[in-house]
Amino acid sequence: MSRNKIIETIIRHTCEVIPELEGHNFSLNDSLKNLGANSVDRSEIIMMTLATLSLNIALIDTAGAKNIGELADILYEKSQS
Amino acid sequence: MKSRNHNEILITGMGITSAIGQGKKEFISALLDGRHAFDVMKRAGRQRPMILKQAEGNLTSRTEFLGAEIPFFRIPEKFTKRALRNASLSDKIALATLHEAWNEAKLDNLEPERIGLIVGGSNFQQRALMQIHSAYYDNPHYLKPTYGISFMDSNLCGICTESFNIGGFAYTLGGSSASGLLAIIKAVQAIQAGEVDVCLAMGALMDLSYWECQGFKSLGAMGTDRYAMEPELAARPFDKDRDGFIYGESCGVLVLEKASVTKRNGVNPYARISGWAIKMDGNRYPNPSYEGQVCTIMRTLKMADLNGKQIDYINPHGTGSIIGDKIELQALRNCGLNHACINATKSITGHGLSAAGAVEVIATILQMKMGQLHPTRNLDRPIDMSFNWVCKNSLHHMIEKALNISIGFGGINTALCIERL
Repeated sequence: MSRNKIIETIIRHTCEVIPELEGHNFSLNDSLKNLGANSVDRSEIIMMTLATLSLNIALIDTAGAKNIGELADILYEKSQS
Repeated sequence: MKSRNHNEILITGMGITSAIGQGKKEFISALLDGRHAFDVMKRAGRQRPMILKQAEGNLTSRTEFLGAEIPFFRIPEKFTKRALRNASLSDKIALATLHEAWNEAKLDNLEPERIGLIVGGSNFQQRALMQIHSAYYDNPHYLKPTYGISFMDSNLCGICTESFNIGGFAYTLGGSSASGLLAIIKAVQAIQAGEVDVCLAMGALMDLSYWECQGFKSLGAMGTDRYAMEPELAARPFDKDRDGFIYGESCGVLVLEKASVTKRNGVNPYARISGWAIKMDGNRYPNPSYEGQVCTIMRTLKMADLNGKQIDYINPHGTGSIIGDKIELQALRNCGLNHACINATKSITGHGLSAAGAVEVIATILQMKMGQLHPTRNLDRPIDMSFNWVCKNSLHHMIEKALNISIGFGGINTALCIERL
């Protein structure tokens, strides 16, 4: 699984949870919080991403991610282990 | 118009979504025409799927539960995709229905803390929950976190209070098939107690899965094998050939407030509530109680300062239950109500369960406004000819004083008296 695919999946589910972001020019520095996702939204986006990518990772392991890039890094690292 | 008591409770707005129409105009038009939507139900999760029995190598049969389903509904634009995400059918229908009632009563500029909401019903999103359970059965660790919120009925209160900025109280109120009427009664009492100035009472859409349908059928409450090939004949309250209730999707919302509060421009109250009663039979089972119903009706009339002869219209519980319909008529007869015009709304809408009481109060008030009573479908041979039935055709009649009755499993009896202003 490529890092790009993980990023695409995060962005797709972010738009699903926050439809107003459709058409937004996402950057890896975007934090989900600053994009308008509350804590429940954020856990929903991450869980949907994990399900789509068939990754079996505890949500708590993603808690340190400050932005989409860092989240993608964590998921990528876990997917390789 | 008579002079108004400032303490009397008025109905100033109504919203309705049902299988026969969305909005008051469509609903009353269909009611008066006797237009129904009964068929074998098609919504996903309403029929038990065929299952391959490996050991025997054959398929189990698919169920063919009958009912009336909402074919489509409009969601007002004010509700964003984000607001509707993860919303169940019960939630979406509630928002659309509340929107109609809210706008009619012009509640936007009232103090949010002085508005309350009571949602009649409990366990009303069973089909939605079953679908989620099925989808995540093999991978429960991927279950959406929002399930931890949405599985509770109170989620509907959260969605409604967030969307309409309701700042008083909001809670769900379970009373099985009496939930809708119970919500209205409790809303009236909350206003009288001064908890809020305006209270919305909702009969929530009870979204059955095939499990609940099977449960009702096994219980002998839901029809019907008899009319399996003729769904249009299946809903037949008070007819000699009835064999149980037929489900119907619906949701009703009423806005209630004290006359002293109703001073907003463009708000025209429909009617006033003059009496009500709640009586428990002390019985957890579905069997009805003649004594309980008589007591409830008499207490309602007493509170309204009326005798039976003054009631000119009855909207009964009337589900098509073999025992229930018979007991209800015995109770009405004992209370001296044979003379009043009577029809059965469920013969057209189906039984909305948690929604029924609210939907039928709306049906009563719209008939009052139109000066016309809707027919009772399939009432070919009434079980008691001594009543003043509205049978095949609608009837011109100006309702002055109406009595609505809702009965729920678990020995719950409720009644409400509604009077023309």
